[in-house]
Amino acid sequence: MERNGSTISTNTIVKLTPGDIFDKYRGTFYSLVVVTILLIAWYFAANRIQNTLLLPYFQETAREFFTAWFDYRIMSNLALTLRRVFTGFLYAFLIGIPLGLLMGYSQTALQAFSPIMNSVRQVPIMAWVPLSIIWFGLGDGPTVFLIAMSAVFPLVINTIAGVHGIDPNYYNAARSMGASLPNIIRDIVVPGALPSILTGCRLAMGFGWMSVICAEFIATSAGFGFLMVEAQIRLETAQLYALMVMSGLVGFVIDKGFLIIEKKLTSWRFKDGFVGS
Amino acid sequence: MALLEVKGVSKIFTRRKKSPHIVLENMSFTVERGQYVSLLGPSGCGKTTLLTMMGGFSTPDAGEIILAGNKVEKPGPDRGFVFQNYALFPWMTVKENILYSLQVKKLSKQDQNKRLHELLEISHLFGSENKYPVQLSGGMQQRVAVVRALASRPEILLLDEPLGAVDFQMRELLQEELAALVEGAKTTVVMVTHDVNESVYLSDRVIVMSADRGQIVKDVYIDLDRPRDRQSEGFKAYVSELTELVRQAFRGKTVELQPGFADVNCNSQTSFADAYNRMTSRYTSVSHGRVAK
Repeated sequence: MERNGSTISTNTIVKLTPGDIFDKYRGTFYSLVVVTILLIAWYFAANRIQNTLLLPYFQETAREFFTAWFDYRIMSNLALTLRRVFTGFLYAFLIGIPLGLLMGYSQTALQAFSPIMNSVRQVPIMAWVPLSIIWFGLGDGPTVFLIAMSAVFPLVINTIAGVHGIDPNYYNAARSMGASLPNIIRDIVVPGALPSILTGCRLAMGFGWMSVICAEFIATSAGFGFLMVEAQIRLETAQLYALMVMSGLVGFVIDKGFLIIEKKLTSWRFKDGFVGS
Repeated sequence: MALLEVKGVSKIFTRRKKSPHIVLENMSFTVERGQYVSLLGPSGCGKTTLLTMMGGFSTPDAGEIILAGNKVEKPGPDRGFVFQNYALFPWMTVKENILYSLQVKKLSKQDQNKRLHELLEISHLFGSENKYPVQLSGGMQQRVAVVRALASRPEILLLDEPLGAVDFQMRELLQEELAALVEGAKTTVVMVTHDVNESVYLSDRVIVMSADRGQIVKDVYIDLDRPRDRQSEGFKAYVSELTELVRQAFRGKTVELQPGFADVNCNSQTSFADAYNRMTSRYTSVSHGRVAK
């Protein structure tokens, strides 16, 4: 089995044909094909419908999209939103990770906290908007709260799952080598749960990014979500489309960033060390 | 005085909605310093349970286990434990794994490096100290697991089916590596196994346990020179004797210490014996196949 694997990998190192390079980027190529088909479909559909309020022309939206990256107002609002997301994520991280580790490690803590947590997380995030405005007024407060609120649960749940997934023999091995409880937390629980924690971070960031846009529709007069509402009110549908594409793209880039961090921090899981993709 | 004393140890598992299961009842034996002892028996005979109690991961319901004069109550670095799946910490390099017990003890970097050097020497792992376990072959993982357990210079090494997860072709090779490694470290070993060949190859003494309450079927001293020759008449004689004893153990009967066990009638318990026969014959045919190559 193992011998087979190594011969295959030596072959690829020895002879890197154009076919192999294509194999490496096969996934990227296919996804670009799909995107291109969708854009072409959009182009023809817009020309046929001839209603820029419903479906703006592709060229116009593309122009809006590219100029947006150089528009000070849009970029400063984007920066504001990103700052809120990272602040909210930080709060969620500081609460969620210790709570998740505790609930994963201690059966008592799990039994004590999980019913209340599982109830609270069923409340739709938008249902927190009125209360968060009462608590924090308008502006940064409610948005950061809503981000933290939607990010904390995936963090807690994934951290618990990560701790539960640790082989019990790791604890026994550590204890037989004289490890104390702090040793076990630092050397077994945290690194053992790390892959799952990082998955939780990715999910949390995604949820945070989604909920911030929603929160900014209502609870604030600045930010990326607010720009979208503005574009809608001014009937600038092309700009609205451009902003939506931007929000998707920014979320995608953040996710990729986390994926790279995840691979770097858990390179011990991969046979050949860090593999960037 | 013996290094390890097992004194009247019993262990009972309580089961939900079922009568309690007596795994071990009043088990007693001693292990001398420097001995390599195998606990051999069919699965479910309580051998792993006994080893777990020696490791301090669980406590006997009656009796006690004494190591070098101290009662075993919890896990500790005076016993090196090698798990069946090795339980190497995948997020630590070979070096970090091996030195873990010393790092916990806050030994100076200098002493740690000195010990690391010694351990890499006996395990032939030089050049791999900065690799992660996932990058190692099964044999190398085994050696890391053994020297990690040896790092703190334990009184005794406890091996829980150290080759249980290894395929048959690989197993004999790893047995040789293990024998050399343990011999180099000059330590006392208690090993759990269900493989007769393995127990004869590695041990000074084999304790055969029965499936019924972990009673000692027989305590066999292996009087063969090392390194052992699997093809020698003496080796084969021990293997066939022990195979027959394990067969007995399957039926849960303790036998007399004389090897007069061939005349046992198999009536109601034939199915167990047949199952074991089928199992052993399959194993021998595999080994013939390997020899033929």
